[in-house]
Amino acid sequence: MTALEARARRADRMRLLGQPVAVVLLVGGVLAWAFTRDLDSIERANINAAKLLRDTWDHLVLSVVVTALVLAVAVPVGVAVTRRWARWAAPVVLGIATVGQAAPAVGVLVLFFLWTEWEGLWAAALPIALYSLLPVLRNTVVGIQSVDPALVEAGRGIGMSGGAVLRRIELPLAVPLILAGLRTSLVLAVGTATLGAFVNGGGLGLLIDTGYKLNRPTVLVTGAVLAVGLALLVDWLGAVAERGLGPKGLR
Amino acid sequence: MDLWDFIVQRWDRLLPEAALHASAVIQCTIIAAVAGVALGVAVYRSPAGSALATALTSAILTVPSFALLGLLIPVLGLGVPPTVVALVLYALLPIVRNTIVGLSGVDSAITDAARGIGMNRLRVLTRVELRLAWPAILTGIRVSTQLLMGIAAIAAYAKGPGLGTEIFSGLARAGSANATNQALAGTLGIVVLALLVDGVFVLVGRLTVSRGIRD
Repeated sequence: MTALEARARRADRMRLLGQPVAVVLLVGGVLAWAFTRDLDSIERANINAAKLLRDTWDHLVLSVVVTALVLAVAVPVGVAVTRRWARWAAPVVLGIATVGQAAPAVGVLVLFFLWTEWEGLWAAALPIALYSLLPVLRNTVVGIQSVDPALVEAGRGIGMSGGAVLRRIELPLAVPLILAGLRTSLVLAVGTATLGAFVNGGGLGLLIDTGYKLNRPTVLVTGAVLAVGLALLVDWLGAVAERGLGPKGLR
Repeated sequence: MDLWDFIVQRWDRLLPEAALHASAVIQCTIIAAVAGVALGVAVYRSPAGSALATALTSAILTVPSFALLGLLIPVLGLGVPPTVVALVLYALLPIVRNTIVGLSGVDSAITDAARGIGMNRLRVLTRVELRLAWPAILTGIRVSTQLLMGIAAIAAYAKGPGLGTEIFSGLARAGSANATNQALAGTLGIVVLALLVDGVFVLVGRLTVSRGIRD
């Protein structure tokens, strides 16, 4: 292990330990502050356990739906463009995805809403998934492309079919990179899900928007801190999962 | 009205918005580059310090931009101040990380040689280490700029300057004749700006990377 990797690992370990502590302190502190304040009727309608839980739940559901969509699209497309018959398509697909990534998330969300006139969960989930697609797509392609060709040859040599080589050699070896991409996508999704409130997709962005529009800083801050806490928590869970889910031989 | 007519007709408003968008992103990137490189230089020799700097800045990047903006509104009000603070914070991670990676990647034989011919610490840093690390630092700055292009659009929610204004105004006028054109002009404008600025970075790289390590 080089000194550089050792440092990166050390930074990871610091976040692994520090992040959950920071989340608990931050969210706990702000909730205690918000609930002990003198609240007017608008604030009481927004800052109560039921409403906060529902918005957090909506936010999580939106993020999970986005992640499922990303996995269902990005991994098959990533695998397809690394097959021999479609190899020419890999740079094209990655190029389109990279240019697409330059589009602002809020623009994609608003345009999707204006074009389809949908509202709610799917109106938020589809454009956010489109926006969070790139990390998983790129890492799937790179992960499979960087598998040692000698291993693929060896698999073919002992009589595996193309499908078996993909399933038992290429994909398992690409899993660590795909998981890293998935973690990035998930964090992007949780963050972008705060914008879901603009198209009535619910979530914690709703509290931020309400607090801002009705000039209730307590509501705004509570929503924002919950969103920050959730993002840090999901990122932390991703880091833990990344350590636990990779194939044993590669750890 | 189709998009093209719309752009031609509103050109006198879209152009200043695009200019403001680009200038906000570029100025904030410059502030973040100065702060980020300084931070990187301050910590790169200490493993614990660089781990802490990387961990902190990557935690900032995890924070949803809409939430950070929301938190800044009660403190800093609307308009330019929350926009600048948010943009600078988000730009830090790629720059700090790449500065640390670039500086620690410099071969210690080279710095020893520089010391050996009589350079002091500062000269070794400015004449040798930073120049060798510059391609990595420049990549970090480039990544930050691309990131800020999109985040600056969200800053329009807090009355920040730029093309995000068109997107939010399109959302507010959903159903009216030019709503889609507005959102489309704002979104595509940002994509075009991002690609243009990325091109500028390729040029800057050609001009500023030391001749000895250019490929």
